Amino acid sequence: MKTVRNVVCPFCGSLCDDIEVDIEDNRVVKVRKGCAISATKFTKYNEERIYKPRIDGREVSLEEAINEAVEILANAKYPALYGWSCTSTEAINIGIEIAELVGGVMDNTASVCHGPTILGEQDAGISTCTLGQVKNRAELIIYWGCNPAHAHPRHMARYSAASRGRFVKGRKERTVIVVDVRKTHTAKTADIFIQIKPNSDFELLTALRWAVKNGELEQEEIAGIPAEKIEELADMLISCRFGALFFGLGLTMSAGKARNIEAAVNLVRELNNYTKFVMVPMRGHFNVTGANEVMAWATGFPFAVDFSRGYPFYNPGDTTFVDVLTRGDCDAALIVASDPVSGFPAEAIRNLAKIPVITLDPHETLTTMISKVVIPTAVVGIEAEGSAYRMDAVPLRLKKLVEPPPGILSDEEVLKMILKKLKERVK
Amino acid sequence: MGEITLKPKVTFKVPIIAETITPDNFAGKPIEEIEKLEMWEGNRKTTLGDLFEAAGSSGEAPADTKIIIEGDVRKVRRIGYKMTDGQILIKGSVGMYLGEKMEGGKIIVEGDADSWVGAGMKGGQIEIKGNAGDYVGAPYRGDTKGMKKGTIIIHGNAGNEVGCWMRGGTIIVKGNAGLFPGIHMKKGTILVEGDCAGRCGAMMKGGKIAILGYVPSVLPSFTFEEIKKSFKVKGEKIKGPFYLFTGDLNENGAGKLYVSTEKNKHLQFYEKYLE
Amino acid sequence: MELLIKNGYVYDPINEINGEKMDIAVKDGKIVESVSSDAKVIDATNMLVMPGGVDIHSHIAGSKVNSGRILRPEDHYKDVKPRTAITRAEVGHTVPSTYTIGYRYARLGYTTVIEAASPPLKTRHTHEELNDIPLIDKSCYLVLDNNWIVLDYLSQGEIDKCAAFIGWIFKALKGYAIKIVNPGGVELWGWGKNVESLDDQVPPFDITPREIIRGLCKINKMLNLPHTIHLHTNNLGKPGNYRTTIETMDTVSDLADGKPNIHITHVQFCGYGGDSWITLRSGAPEIAKYVNNHNHVTIDLGQVVFGDATTMTGDGPFQFILQNLTGNKWKNADVEAEGSAGIVPYKYKRKNFVNAVQWTIGLELALLIKDPWRVFLTTDHPNAGTFMKYPRVITWLMSKVAREKVLNKINKRAKKRSTLPSIDREYTFYEIAIITRAATAKALNLANKGHLGVGADADIAIYNINPMEIDPSKEYKKVRRALKRAAYTIKGGEIIVKDGEIVKSFIGETFWVKPAIPEDLEKDMLREVSEKFKEYYTVSLENYIIGENELASSKPIAVKTNL
Ligand code: SF4
Repeated sequence: MKTVRNVVCPFCGSLCDDIEVDIEDNRVVKVRKGCAISATKFTKYNEERIYKPRIDGREVSLEEAINEAVEILANAKYPALYGWSCTSTEAINIGIEIAELVGGVMDNTASVCHGPTILGEQDAGISTCTLGQVKNRAELIIYWGCNPAHAHPRHMARYSAASRGRFVKGRKERTVIVVDVRKTHTAKTADIFIQIKPNSDFELLTALRWAVKNGELEQEEIAGIPAEKIEELADMLISCRFGALFFGLGLTMSAGKARNIEAAVNLVRELNNYTKFVMVPMRGHFNVTGANEVMAWATGFPFAVDFSRGYPFYNPGDTTFVDVLTRGDCDAALIVASDPVSGFPAEAIRNLAKIPVITLDPHETLTTMISKVVIPTAVVGIEAEGSAYRMDAVPLRLKKLVEPPPGILSDEEVLKMILKKLKERVK
Repeated sequence: MGEITLKPKVTFKVPIIAETITPDNFAGKPIEEIEKLEMWEGNRKTTLGDLFEAAGSSGEAPADTKIIIEGDVRKVRRIGYKMTDGQILIKGSVGMYLGEKMEGGKIIVEGDADSWVGAGMKGGQIEIKGNAGDYVGAPYRGDTKGMKKGTIIIHGNAGNEVGCWMRGGTIIVKGNAGLFPGIHMKKGTILVEGDCAGRCGAMMKGGKIAILGYVPSVLPSFTFEEIKKSFKVKGEKIKGPFYLFTGDLNENGAGKLYVSTEKNKHLQFYEKYLE
Repeated sequence: MELLIKNGYVYDPINEINGEKMDIAVKDGKIVESVSSDAKVIDATNMLVMPGGVDIHSHIAGSKVNSGRILRPEDHYKDVKPRTAITRAEVGHTVPSTYTIGYRYARLGYTTVIEAASPPLKTRHTHEELNDIPLIDKSCYLVLDNNWIVLDYLSQGEIDKCAAFIGWIFKALKGYAIKIVNPGGVELWGWGKNVESLDDQVPPFDITPREIIRGLCKINKMLNLPHTIHLHTNNLGKPGNYRTTIETMDTVSDLADGKPNIHITHVQFCGYGGDSWITLRSGAPEIAKYVNNHNHVTIDLGQVVFGDATTMTGDGPFQFILQNLTGNKWKNADVEAEGSAGIVPYKYKRKNFVNAVQWTIGLELALLIKDPWRVFLTTDHPNAGTFMKYPRVITWLMSKVAREKVLNKINKRAKKRSTLPSIDREYTFYEIAIITRAATAKALNLANKGHLGVGADADIAIYNINPMEIDPSKEYKKVRRALKRAAYTIKGGEIIVKDGEIVKSFIGETFWVKPAIPEDLEKDMLREVSEKFKEYYTVSLENYIIGENELASSKPIAVKTNL
């Protein structure tokens, strides 16, 4: 048996890098330090595995599957390549070149989670930081529309509310505020819980900004919160030495989406005239941030890039996969490390079922079941190495702990083979 | 006036980029040349003639060229791109970016139009008989150059962010509007004759917005000024009365927001600030 | 492969070749004495031949640059080019994609570029982007002046351990030189504050900016690093800051031993006189005077070019001021225990008084500093303009007429206040070769770059212009056109550009320094550092380290230290 230390956990955007994994006979037998999610996923990654490539449900050789994938992509007039948030940055990078080569739409799952965060940033900017800055300095922490206690179980202990930093030593030295529509687990641990009326985040953020600017609130109640309470809150935000706002899908997906983020950005920007304030998105999938980063450096745009005319064109709402699919625009799809069928709107799924789909995934999913070509791949961070970016864009290197099942390659390797064949095929 | 009629040869599946369909490109050209104009069908470069049946003859100049499009062009984008004059009549519904960066002339759509109608428009007129999608008159992401001049009239409903980053011109929505009409607006006029989903004028710095129907609330960064009897659009008087607000104060804005008093009794509490 | 570049007019200042008509022979990527008759011949008759350009300061890779790309989609829409059989799709403009950066530098005849500021924690990201920049050789500076471990050691007077730590960090993260960005000020920005002078305290470290600069300057020497400390001053972007700049230069003058020991970067941004934006004037004459009298200093310009820019620095508090001044969108990104970054889009306008003064400052610096070996051409890409504008800047330096043309169009008050109209100096091709390649290669101590002597890397730029016939003073437009699109760019002996188009693409090398540190000292230091890491950072020391296998083409440079 051997123990690998400082393993980076590939199961949420927190990318905790202190996991200890015991390995015996090429199998993970024990996981220490991780949260419940990580403990389960590290030991059960072998369940629901796919072991053989298939075409139309029939088991085939890897070569046949790749040839078929290449044919589909090369013949498509408007293929879409989607997913990418649960694989390595290197794999995504190859995906980008494939998209460029076949003139497809390259999009990652940010478009259905924190895409609005990016759009908000593109209109207003963002004052942000790495998580250690919060751990070392934040006296006041707001969780807005996110529930780390469930979705990022070690976030509060390692990076935020209860973390121990150089200047702020722990939970007792911090004030924690939760803004949400319901009393979540995280809310229960907060010093202050603000229960906001659904879909009124924009109003509350706007009111807070106006109150920070010392403006008068003419309405008695905004977003279900009394005006005096909002003014009190504004005073609290101004008077902390360092404040941090964490936000999740509760903010990015409630009415207004990107504009909610913009309102939050503007509030935080205003607060920086009085004190130090930052905000950090709670990104879910372990490398969705990396997908945005590599797409940005290779194409200029972080998601939703349309290469149909050879150069990158970007316009979320148009070039986002979920919209492309809902309109029924694409005629083929390559899905990597993602399961859109389990979360997309019905119309989109109906259209996906009508076109040839190629899926790369270690596991059986709803998407593999409707796919024409399925190529099983290694689990990144356990069976394959590569780079990944934490929710605060800190890059880390995922380790290879065990060998993948015989004949199974990583996403990166399979995509490289597809790219190579495509280059010969397209010209 | 010369008239050219275009009919799709097949039902389109993938997006068609048809920025060449403008009176400017058609004027003075025989059909055979018009058929050679470049188009994109997804990732394939093709020609107008491959995708459309073209008939009729164009005028000498854009001003006397009218393009009539029949059939289903919901997948067809960028029709009327940068056109300066002449007319386009679309007899059904149309795809995204209709009249993008248009400078003059007129486009009429008898059906619906998808998002980004008149994106970054600089002049001319667009009339949609049906509904319009989101971002009427808006620029692309991150850009701040919204509609500058011209008129857009939507007889049905419009989606979110009508007149986003608007710098001038007029938008009239005869039906209802979604969230954020006039967001980031600097100048120009927006009239919504129906109801609005709210957040009118968010982050606006200037310009005028009037809502004749119901609005759930006014943003807290707007201050109530007075009750006004009427509101003017293109010289025409629209009867109120209206609650008049100024905002967005968070942006030190001086935009004017007119909201019908009659349809918005729940805003009566503002009247206490009248004295 | 062998190449023979025949009959060109060669400008190779390191070897004191000044426009001599001669042949250059290339074999296996190096310049050689002679080649066989099988060599491919490039006819460079009536053409200008120089070593490949070496850019000492440009923001080309890493978290800050990428944040700029993400922040500014509007920057890219109109500057795109489809994929070709050789090149990837290009997308610009002020913050272009990695591929675009490589191609565009190559088209200008540049073959080596250094990323100007990489925060250590995010240097893995920097390398991932460097891996994707084609054609050019590259490296990155590591921002170390607001690093807590450095500050702890310096304030405790543990200079040996501090040196060992910095030496280790170069090995661990694969960087090239010590970058200093608003020392002390950026740490205080962690609390939303800044420093105002070299002697302000930086609590709780019990240290001042002056002490940080001196400490790092000493360590630089102890480690025997190839480049000097590379410094972005305190008070950058503030009227009156030329005094801080001179004070900063002077604070290490006693540590010098006849060679440069400090590089002040993008001096245009810290060369302001006056005491407000209204009374702003150029501080270039004072700075030039200091530089002319002190040979321990090198500088680069940070020349403003009118038009679109994206300001991006590791100076968080400066960017904060700029966003308040402009109202433009603003990204701030602090890095735990290390520093910060800020980005604000910007447009330099001719008629704007401040912008016009900024434009004059860079040129005055270049023209008033006598020794071209100590003043380098940069636009601090993309802060004062993009590197694509270098040919334009070069013509301003070579032609008084070209300068006057712009002077007549800029803000009148700025023109009146400037000494620029009274300066007659015009750079020669030889001097241009110095400030764009020879001197920068020398300042970086890259022995095989910036010259065409036997043994040098065969990185060569050939421009379609006859230096013997042209009068750059009058025909500056021709010069500009020729420099914009190299007739040939040769990298490592391969022809990569012909007639301004990319004809071949591959990935160049990433070089980094590998200082030798006494084992015991390193062990002691690492024991302490790994403890501190647990408290300061959110990643483990092991995962902080970047493996050599993570670099696409790694080129370590071993350094003997004085530890
Ligand atoms: S919080 Fe996330 S990254 Fe950390 S151990 Fe749990 S699942 Fe893994």
